[in-house]
Formats: sequence, C-alpha cells, structure tokens
Amino acid sequence: MFCICLWVFPFASVQVLVGNAGVGKTCLVRRFTQGLFPPGQGATIGVDFMIKTVEVGNEKVKLQIWDTAGQERFRSITQSYYRSAHALILVYDISCQPTFDCLPDWLREIEEYASSKVLRVLVGNKIDRDDREIPTQVGEEFAERHNMYFLETSAKESDNVERLFMQIADDLMKQARMTNAQRYDPSHYNVEPTTTDSGCCSRLN
Amino acid sequence: MSSKENSYLEIEQLCQQELEKLQLEEETLLADLNGMLNQKTYIEDKIRGLSRLIPTLKIMKNEAQDLVETINDISESSEKISSKIRQLDSARGHGDECLLRVNDLIDLEICSQGVQQAILDLDYEKGAAHVHRFLSMDQTLLKRTANDMNNVSNMLNSVRTLQEAANQLQAIVEHKFNEAVNAEDLAAIERFFKIFPLLGMHEQGLKNFCTFLRTKLALTAEKNLKVAVTTPLADKRHPIIYADTMILLFEGLARVIETHQPLFETYYGPGRLISAVNILQKECDTQVKRIIMEWSKTRQIQKKIQQINEMSRMTSSGSFNKLEKIDPKDLDILIGEISLMHYRCELYIKFIERKIAADIDVGIADQEQRTKTTKTLEQLILNSELSQCKHDLLSHYLKLEQYFMEESVAKAVNMDQLEPSFQTSSLVDDTFFIVRKSIRRSISTGSLDGICVTINNACRVLENDFCDVIKARLKQGYPSGYLDLTQAYNVLQNSIQQGRLQSGDTEQSRTSFIVALNNADNSTKYVNALVDSIMKETEGACPNLNATEKGKLESCLSGISGVSVKLSEILDYGFQQLKSTVIKPRVNPWVDQFLNFSHQLTEDELSAYEAGESFIQILIMNLETLLSSFKDILTANNYENFIKVLTTEVTQRFEKVIMKSQFNRLGGLVLDKDVRSLAGYITSGTYWSARDQFARLTQIATILNFEQIDEINEYWGNSDGAITWRLSPSEIKSILNLRSDFRSDDIKRLRL
Repeated sequence: MFCICLWVFPFASVQVLVGNAGVGKTCLVRRFTQGLFPPGQGATIGVDFMIKTVEVGNEKVKLQIWDTAGQERFRSITQSYYRSAHALILVYDISCQPTFDCLPDWLREIEEYASSKVLRVLVGNKIDRDDREIPTQVGEEFAERHNMYFLETSAKESDNVERLFMQIADDLMKQARMTNAQRYDPSHYNVEPTTTDSGCCSRLN
Repeated sequence: MSSKENSYLEIEQLCQQELEKLQLEEETLLADLNGMLNQKTYIEDKIRGLSRLIPTLKIMKNEAQDLVETINDISESSEKISSKIRQLDSARGHGDECLLRVNDLIDLEICSQGVQQAILDLDYEKGAAHVHRFLSMDQTLLKRTANDMNNVSNMLNSVRTLQEAANQLQAIVEHKFNEAVNAEDLAAIERFFKIFPLLGMHEQGLKNFCTFLRTKLALTAEKNLKVAVTTPLADKRHPIIYADTMILLFEGLARVIETHQPLFETYYGPGRLISAVNILQKECDTQVKRIIMEWSKTRQIQKKIQQINEMSRMTSSGSFNKLEKIDPKDLDILIGEISLMHYRCELYIKFIERKIAADIDVGIADQEQRTKTTKTLEQLILNSELSQCKHDLLSHYLKLEQYFMEESVAKAVNMDQLEPSFQTSSLVDDTFFIVRKSIRRSISTGSLDGICVTINNACRVLENDFCDVIKARLKQGYPSGYLDLTQAYNVLQNSIQQGRLQSGDTEQSRTSFIVALNNADNSTKYVNALVDSIMKETEGACPNLNATEKGKLESCLSGISGVSVKLSEILDYGFQQLKSTVIKPRVNPWVDQFLNFSHQLTEDELSAYEAGESFIQILIMNLETLLSSFKDILTANNYENFIKVLTTEVTQRFEKVIMKSQFNRLGGLVLDKDVRSLAGYITSGTYWSARDQFARLTQIATILNFEQIDEINEYWGNSDGAITWRLSPSEIKSILNLRSDFRSDDIKRLRL
C-alpha cells in the first residue's frame, strides 16, 4: 500500500485519531484541515476521512487523516483502520479524568490491531479550559512510559494543532526515506541493465 | 527652307488647335452664363418669399413663449392635484380599512351568532369556519376598533362569545376526534382531522391524527411480528423472516406517509410533514427495536458474538482453543439476513429524508427557518432508535462478516488441494471467492462504512493469512536433489496427474513450491480484477457518493492493490530460491564446459568443430531439457520469468568463462556464431525480446570477432557505426587482450 501511494504522490501518510467520545478529535482535525472550530458538533459516526497536503522541506506530503468515532458501538468500524495507519494519535481531554483513565484500554487495542512500527502520539486536548484535571506532567509521564510522543493542544484556541500534525508529517517523512533507501537496496534484487535501446544491438547483429 | 516651312506649318496647326479649344470653352461659358441668368429670377423669388416670412417667425416665437408658460402652470397645478390624489388614496385606504373593520365587525356579529347555532346544530365544519374567520381577523385591529367605537360592549361581547366558542369547539373537536378514534370511525376521524387546522390547532391536529395512525401501525406490526415468531423452521422465508418483518413495517410506514401527505398538504399546508413523521418515527423506533430484540433472541446473536470475541481473545493470547468453533458456513445465512435488514433500514431512512426535504423545499420559504428545520430533520434521524439499531446491525454484521471471512479463508488454506493437471491449487480460487463474496455482501448493506471496513478486513486476511501461507511454502525451498532432471520432471508430472503427492519428500516439496509460485502469480491477477469489480459494484449500489466518500473508498481500495505489491515481492523471493537451487547448480557446469574447448582454432579444427557436437549445441540442448521440465507446470507469466532469470544467469556465467579463455580469429568467429544461436534460441521461446539481456554478450562476441584492432573505431565515438556500449573502455581493452593474435601494445595505444 505504501508503495502505491509513493507513486501517486511524492509521499502519502495515513493518520488515525482515536480516543474517548467527546475529547475533541473531530475538532482537532477540522482545525487543522479547514481552520475551523465548529461548536456543537454531533458525535462522529463511523469514521470521517480528510485529506490535507502540506509541505515538508520542499516536498509535498499528502496527509490522509481518519477521524474515528469514540463511541463503543462503532468499534468494529474503527478498528479496521488501525492496520494501515502510519501514525496513531491518541487523544484525551485534560479536563476529564475518565478519558485519561481509558488510555490503557486504547493502547491495548492499538497493540492488537495496529502495526508494531506505527508512530504513536499522545495528545491532551482542551488546554483552553480552566478545570484541568490531569496535570501536564502526568500526561508526559504516561507518554514516556509507553514510548509515545506527547503534546498538549487546544483545538478551540488553535494551540499546537499545526505543530502536532506537522511534527508527525516530518517524522513519517524521515521514516519513509529510510525505508525507501532499504527498499531499493540493490543486493536484494537482480541488477539488470537499465537502458533499453535495442537499436544498438540490431546493428551488431 | 522646306524645314522652316514645315515648322511654320506645324505652328499654324497648333494655333488652329488652340483656337478651336478656346472657341469651345467660350461656348460652354456662354451656356453657363445663360443658365445662371435663367435662375436669377427664380432665386430672387425665393429671397422675396423668405423676407416675407420674417414677421411670421416673430409671432411664432412669442406664441412659443406663451406655450411654455402655460405648460409650467399646468405642471404646477397637476402636482397640486396629485398630492390631493395621494391624500385621497390614503383616505380611501382608511375607508377600505374601515370597510374591513366593519366587515370584520359584521362577520364578527354573524360569526358569533352563527357559531353558537352551528355548535348547537352539531355542524362543526360551519362552526369551525366561523372561528377560522374570527381567527383570521387582525386581533389587534379588533381591539383598536373596540376602543374607537361607542357600542363597545356589543362588540366585546361578540369577541368574547367567539373566543369562548373557539375554546368550546377546540374541546369538542378534540373530544369528538378521540371518540371517533375509540370507535374506529374512519369517516369521523377524517372529518375532525380536517377541522383542527380551522381552529388554528395545526400541531395538535397532526399530533392527534398521527397518534391514531401510530396505533394502527402498532397493531399491524405486532401481528406481523407474531407471524414472524411463529413461522415454522421449514418455511422458505424463515432464514430472512425478520428482514421481511422489517420491510413490512417500513412499507407500511411509507404507505401511510405517501397516502396522507396530500391530506396534510391540503388542509394543513406544506412544510408540516416533519411534525407528522416525527410522531410516526416514534412508533417506527419502538417496532424496529422490538423486531431486533426478537430477532436477536431467536438467532442468538449475543451468544454468537460473544463466542467469536472469546475465540479471537484465545487465539491472540495463544492458549489452545477448547471452545467449539462456529462453522463459518452456519453464519452465512444469518450474515445475509443482517445485511438485508441493514439495507432496508438505510432505504427507509433515505425515503424519509427525501420526502421531508422535498416538503421543506416547497413549504418553507424563509431561509433561516429552512436551515433550522433541516437541522431538526438531521437530529430526528440521528437520534432515532432506528439509526441506533442500524448502527448496531452494522456492528454485528461487521463482526460476523470478519469472522466468516477469516475462518473461511483458514478453512480454504487447510483444505488446500491440488487438482490433477491444474497449475494452481484450490486455495487461490477458494480464497478469492470468499473475499469477493464478503465484499459483495458488504456492498449490499448499502453502507459505505461497511464496505470500507470489509475491504480493510479483506486486505488484512489476504496480506497476512493468505500471502503468509504462500510465502511459508516458498520458504521451505525447492530441493535440488540428485535426481536426473527428466526423472524429476516425470515424478512431478505423476504426482500432479494423480492428484496426490508421492511419498518422496523431495517431490512433494517441489510440487508445493511450484504450486505456491503459480498461486502467487494467479492471485495477482485476481487482486486486480477484484479492485475493478468492487469499484464498479459500489458505484452501482451507492450512486451519489460525494468527493470525500469517494476518497474514502479509494483509499481503502488502494490497500487491496497493496496486496499485489506483496505478492510480487513473494514472487521475487520464489525466483531467487529457484535461481540458487535449480538454475545456478545446473547452468554453471554447463557453461563452464566452454573452458574445455580450445578457442584458438586452425581451419581444420574449425571444420571439425562445426561437424561435431559443438559446445553451444550441448548447452542449448541442456537448457531445452531444463526449460521443458518447467514449461507445463508453471503459469505463463512464471515461465516467462523463469526464462528471464535463467537467461541472466547463463549470460553472466558465459561472460565469466569467456574472460578466462584465449581466442584467435577463428575462435572469435565461432564464439560470435555461438552467441547468436543462443540468443536466437532464447528469443524463440519467449514473447519478449531477449536481445537486451544479450547486449553485453553480443558486444563481447563482436569485439572478439574483429579482423583488426582498428575495427573498434568503426563502432566507437562519433563514427557512423557507433553503438551504445554496455562495456566500459577498460572492459573492451581487456576483451581485446583475449585475442592471442592482437598485440597488447596496439591495444594499449587505442584511444577510447
């Protein structure tokens, strides 16, 4: 799949957002892709799909962002998207302890369905709110313990949203360059002559 | 003299000519003068006439000034008049208003008298019409009128009477309606239903009427559900009886909406369908929920899902699976029923959306109100129990479908069988049949999410369960063994023809390797066909996908295309194996035979060499044997690939042994012939040109076939015969050095 995308665009990456219902996944994506903060949004149904092309070091990167529903009854839909993801963004609400307490459950899901090489990012959203329940440090420690990136954001105030996605694009780009270098390692393949000018040989014959 | 005379004559002639000219001119001048004289009187007349006109013009000017003044006067007075008219207009407006008020008052009087009588006469239509008339009056205006009038009490009385009558009528009609509902008197129900809007009770009327319709629907639905529950197992419809019950419910609802919509529109006005559907939806929700509950109980959905969940937990934790596995075949019909149920929910929701949207379009003009109502519609559908049930159905469907696909493919892997004289085993056809079936079924649910998830799951099953099996078989390798090749070929053929594998491990592994390779090749074709057909079928089933939805589908489909990438990696891996176990060990000794021949030939030796079995004939014969042993057991693509790998190996090895030999002119000639016949042989057996693979070898042979060292210049640089070299200058020099009859000093001196 990866390879196909490479031909269509210089580089395409797939990102999936997961986390409890109401933590603001859709708002994060909307803020990043459309620059909007739509208040009073209904719950996402199934998965939403959005594309944004960004530039990383003069190269265009097509970000495919899958915004999954947080509700339990859509789990059988959302789970199927983990496998092809290059990055998973796990979101919780810093003003809501239960959304943080669920993180281990989400990690278990990721463990079960996603590729082991997937880039994992922990995001504490809604830092614009005054009623914070989870201190930054607690989130940081959790992320560190589970080998994830960590960032706190506010989709409402547009804090760190751009940074979050651009950082991921940047990292995936680096990863892709490395795998690409491996992919075309000549020792794995027959080295065959590359030019196909048949005119020359006909003369010799 | 004569010349002088001549000149005089000439002059005279000229003078004559001039004279004639002058005379002519004089005549024309005279004519002109005459003409002018003639006109003189005429012109003088004109002038006289004009001078007579002057006083008249003066009069005209004065008159015109008078006219302007008059017009100004008129315009002033007309403006005055128009302002008067305006005043008159407004006065008439007041008059009209008065008339209206008087009319209203008269009507009020009539209505207040009539309404009582009508109520007494039980003529509710008439009474309601009076009340309607009363309600259509401007109530504030009435109040103002009351203030202006002397006989206030009289009018206020009428108003009071009417208000009372309205309340009375409202109560009566509501009561009568309920009575009619209880008596199931359809005519009466319809009668009072039509009276409600006259009394300004639009919402109330719709509510009452739809509540009545609800009870009717509930009765039918209950009956249908009872029939469904008691349907005998042997009945043909039994496997999808709940989907049938569902469609009966939806059809009933749709019929109610379709038949009553014109009624609503006529008596209540357009734009009110949403209120009606809102009430009917509650019944729909209740009934759908009941059907689902009954269905889930009868089909033991929870138990099955739980079993599946437990099984996946056990396999993922690695513990041995003691649970009785559900046979995926047993789920097949159930999955079909769920997809049908889901599709029917989807269809009904689409129907409601379409109906109400059209009604809103016609009935609500105000843009703001329209968006608000549209939003209400969205919320109505989103929050309905029907939508929840639909989501739950989809969730069940996806769980079961995933299990079905995984287990069926696992079964296909376990039951993999090689039919005699087939190049691929049953695994490929079976797997793709299952995957295709699942995806098709997901398309029949009508849910894009369902399709996408099933595609995702199919990707996973194909990439992991299916490809890994093929790869694992290739990993076991192709044993080269000590068997003579023809013998090996016969054994392989036998085992394929008899449809069972021979006891020998070697042959078994060989067959399974070759079949795996063929399976991978055939699967690539199937994958491409699968992507095409999904795209087409989805477009057929969901024709109005927007750009985002299309992107979603395409993104998921690209995952399936990714399977073919993995397959081609597997094929590469397989050919690497074949190369190291089959091709290299055989080709190398065959080509190495070249070293046993002398390539510095005399004329006699040349003819002897050509008469006897030459190196190249033996090589081609050996290659022929090797190729023919693979020709029938490999698929066409794989066979082509096999030849390619073989050719690369042969040409590379050939190059190596050439570099180890010494040639004279005749030796070079023979080599050139040999290379051509080898290239000819390979090309004859393939659809592609092997020329490119032979490019280096051909060039080496050409160099060794030179008569003189300088010949290289004909092929090098800017000369006419220059070619694209695959050999570097230093390689060319070392090849030239292989010719024992070329002096190395001359070679060194070459400028390349």
